[in-house]
Amino acid sequence: MGDEPEETPKVRAKLWDGPTRIVHWALVILIGFAWWCVKANQTEWHLWAGYGILGLIVFRLIWGFAGSASARFTTFVKGPVATLAYAKTLSQRSAKEVAGHNPMGGWSVVAILAAILSQVITGLFAVDVDGLESGPLSDRVSFETGRLFSRSHDLSFTAIKLLVVLHLSAIAFYALYKRANLITPMITGYRAFETDPKLRFAPLWRAVLVAVAAAAVTWWVVKGLRL
Amino acid sequence: MAFQKSLFALSLLAGFVIVGSAVQAHEHMAPMPTTPGGKAAYTRHENFKLQGAAFKAIRDELKSDAPNMALIATNAAKLKSSAEALPTWFPKGSGPESKYETDAKPEIWSDPVKFAAAVKRLQVETIKFQPTVASGDLGAIKAQAQAVGGACKNCHDSFRVPEAK
Repeated sequence: MGDEPEETPKVRAKLWDGPTRIVHWALVILIGFAWWCVKANQTEWHLWAGYGILGLIVFRLIWGFAGSASARFTTFVKGPVATLAYAKTLSQRSAKEVAGHNPMGGWSVVAILAAILSQVITGLFAVDVDGLESGPLSDRVSFETGRLFSRSHDLSFTAIKLLVVLHLSAIAFYALYKRANLITPMITGYRAFETDPKLRFAPLWRAVLVAVAAAAVTWWVVKGLRL
Repeated sequence: MAFQKSLFALSLLAGFVIVGSAVQAHEHMAPMPTTPGGKAAYTRHENFKLQGAAFKAIRDELKSDAPNMALIATNAAKLKSSAEALPTWFPKGSGPESKYETDAKPEIWSDPVKFAAAVKRLQVETIKFQPTVASGDLGAIKAQAQAVGGACKNCHDSFRVPEAK
């Protein structure tokens, strides 16, 4: 018998489901667009972008409980012990095989979602200085509180920018140091594994149901919590 | 176990949001400055807050299904009188040199003609607003409220330090 092959054969298997990828890239586009709107003084479009982001974030939060295995918080949110243990393997050249978010990445997801949620909530109550364009819930707060929300909206955007830089740096680190491509799977949904992780995926009808629920919640909030 | 983990993640998420909001909502209320310029800048800031609140009260009413016309009229009157008084809120020395944290640009004092025109526009629009409100015509009130807000914005664009973008 000859030598064992040096490389274990890789299997291509599905990692990220469609809804998770769509939400991811839609958030990238809409947050970028909302930022551009501010720069270009397109406040009305900025509000529409914000409503879209609200819908996406509501969808993603529900999907974190009802979605496919790799999208669920229970799969990727780990305690401090597991997170620290993973952190110790960071300097190794080969990426530890995790089907989905590794424990550190999981926390980064939670942080980004929390920052986007803060961004959306502060925007809902924000009052602009001219009083012309304000968030759909701004009539629930006083002028001064609304102005404070507006400032918080700036602050939480700074948090988002920092987290995005961290996110991109981590992707670059995995690409250059660990030779692990994290980008393609987020586009195609597929990744090469040593062994097929046999992940469970949520059926399409459930995604449709969650999308309808998220749209309904968004509609209700944008209408000022009135039916 | 899985459920507990979800709860843990969710409460952490909520924690982030609440702590973040609390930190941000911490209101900073500077003490009244002692210099004349600082005092004027402080008072001006208070006046603009009242003006903003009056305009917001109108906008909020216009958003509701059954706007309270009396409330709109009261606040429209407030806007008119505060626009009238506005030119007195900018004495020399109450700009950035007052050391009081102000968004008033030096151009207010270096280009008084342009500034006076911007103020005049607000006065004209708030004066026009009174009979419009009295007419009770919701469409016209909304349009004129937009014109009043436009006058605020017009002046802010030239004479107020832009917000971080």
